[in-house]
Amino acid sequence: MSARTASVGPVTGDSEQVIETRGLTKHYGQVHALTDLDIEVGGGVTGLVGANGAGKSTLIKILLGLLEPTSGSARVLGHDIATEGEEIRRFVGYMPEHDCLPPDVSASEFVVHMARMSGLGASAARERSADVLRHVGLEEERYRPMGGYSTGMKQRAKLAQGLVHDPRLVFLDEPTNGLDPAARADMLRLVRRIGSDFGIAVLVTSHLLGELEQVSDHVVVLDAGHLLRSSATGDFLERTGSLLVEVVGGTTERDRFGEALAAAGLTCRPRGTAIAVEPAPDGLSVHDLVRDTAADLGLGLMRLQPDRRHLEDVFLDDAPAAAAGGSRG
Amino acid sequence: MAEQRAGVIHDLGYRHYDGPREGVATIARTLYVTGLRHAFGLGRSGKSKILPFLLLALCTLPAAIVVGVVTIVGLSELPLTYAGYTNQVQLLISLFAAAQAPVLFSRDLRHRSIVLYLARPLPAYVIALTRWASLATALLVFSVLPLLVLYTGGLLAGLDVGEQTTDLLKALALLLLVASMLAGITGFISSVSLRRGFAVVGSIVALVVVPGVVTAVQAITSEEDADQVGVVAGLASPWSLTNGLASAWEAGVTVFTPPAGGWVVVYLAVAVLVAAAGLAAIVARFLKVGSQ
Ligand SMILES: Nc1ncnc2c1ncn2[C@@H]1O[C@H](COP(=O)(O)OP(=O)(O)O)[C@@H](O)[C@H]1O
Ligand SMILES: [Mg+2]
Repeated sequence: MSARTASVGPVTGDSEQVIETRGLTKHYGQVHALTDLDIEVGGGVTGLVGANGAGKSTLIKILLGLLEPTSGSARVLGHDIATEGEEIRRFVGYMPEHDCLPPDVSASEFVVHMARMSGLGASAARERSADVLRHVGLEEERYRPMGGYSTGMKQRAKLAQGLVHDPRLVFLDEPTNGLDPAARADMLRLVRRIGSDFGIAVLVTSHLLGELEQVSDHVVVLDAGHLLRSSATGDFLERTGSLLVEVVGGTTERDRFGEALAAAGLTCRPRGTAIAVEPAPDGLSVHDLVRDTAADLGLGLMRLQPDRRHLEDVFLDDAPAAAAGGSRG
Repeated sequence: MAEQRAGVIHDLGYRHYDGPREGVATIARTLYVTGLRHAFGLGRSGKSKILPFLLLALCTLPAAIVVGVVTIVGLSELPLTYAGYTNQVQLLISLFAAAQAPVLFSRDLRHRSIVLYLARPLPAYVIALTRWASLATALLVFSVLPLLVLYTGGLLAGLDVGEQTTDLLKALALLLLVASMLAGITGFISSVSLRRGFAVVGSIVALVVVPGVVTAVQAITSEEDADQVGVVAGLASPWSLTNGLASAWEAGVTVFTPPAGGWVVVYLAVAVLVAAAGLAAIVARFLKVGSQ
């Protein structure tokens, strides 16, 4: 089989499943890390969310072929993890959760070497590595030994080695771990770009339940090795229905809009410059109502998006016990 | 929102890679060459080159001097055989193995970059084998270089080609065994004790202290007319195996209790077994780390 003849185009759209697991189970002795997991992941960005110990890293290691499942099966990019690990690893990138960088080597040198370990030739490896380091935002620092890097720079270097061979799917295990809020936002923006602009399917994990909603097309929630929920980010919205809306103008416009929405039968309250709209009673379409109300008042609709906090609410509703141990960023 | 805007910014656009992707064999060769270079500090910091090249110089310099003497004085044969030379610089070869094995076997495991290798096409056992091959080759280069200096110098000085070549081939066969054993032993020790200091000390115990004890035992047993005990003791270290074989093959090395008859076969079998066991232990170690 030649990689050259394989389609290396980006996986786009949700038609093709990049990951599919069937009854995937992993026991470490007495510890049941994963239990009978059936998951399907398509293109774009998929958030894998769960408290510490939920089994996120274990799932990724099994999909990479680093660990053998106790039972069950999985396909990654159409290949069986049990028999075609080499082919999978050729087209998959991995950013581990833990530190994995030799301190006495520069990012530039290291990423070139890792590109070669993925099968790129010497000059292609150099070219791709320069490109990717620029994309992740490691500029001058890339020639310095990585031992002197800040956490944010190390995360970028780890990300770069995972992208340098232009994978079709990349696993990012807790990429925001240890980052301050600004660096965290940068990293999440980068994750979003990888999924949309780069056209690389992303499976990104976080133990912070609300964090990934902004960047994910799809969210999979794990709870103590069980699949709690897997659905498009939009579906979460429909279930709880909570929305954040904002109109052009100041507080006057905001309040005028809020009163009109309330008059139309919606429950809402101001939040900052925006309005949080509660789920509508049956038969009312919140989207339509918001749009029509804005049009009636002649107000410009600036923002209409799922209320960020509600992913946590979903989690709390479904798994009160598990969430108690989880972090609620 | 941000994602919509980002889609329009194309000035620094991401480019896909549609070029060739090499297979496992080519990737392994790249890793092998990189490892071989790293064993000599090449492609690493300037500081990393000092020790390997200092040892290489110490190991080769006497050969150059011998060649000079043979040429100037006009001797009809070398004052020592090729295997005899290796025997003389045994300590330097051991130090090189002990000092450089951690470069190839501890670093990736200690810094956990091994995970990044394992998430790529090369299987864990190929990585382990490749690492071993790099170190074994480095040891071979290190130990053969002075012999080549001797050989070339000897021939230029007009020594008998047939004699010299036979002698050299005996030494090369022995060095093949030495390199395989030493790479297996020090590679395994370095992949278990990830702190460089411990790995170096452990390797020195195995390659310097143990052979020293064996030699002492052999000297005593030969004195006490208990040669058989000394022959058996020779199985306990890579150097006593090598020197025993060198003596049996009349390669110009003398030991207190040389193996004879069936013992030569046993020595050879044990030497091959030590190399294989070291290699297998390294592979097992990498497979274990890979599943963590
Ligand atoms: N090598 C291992 N040996 C034993 N138990 C493990 C091992 N790795 C993970 N576990 C256990 O499996 C569970 C899932 O761990 P992990 O996949 O790391 O979770 P997460 O990445 O979601 O934090 C945890 O209970 C953890 O303690
Ligand atoms: Mg984890």
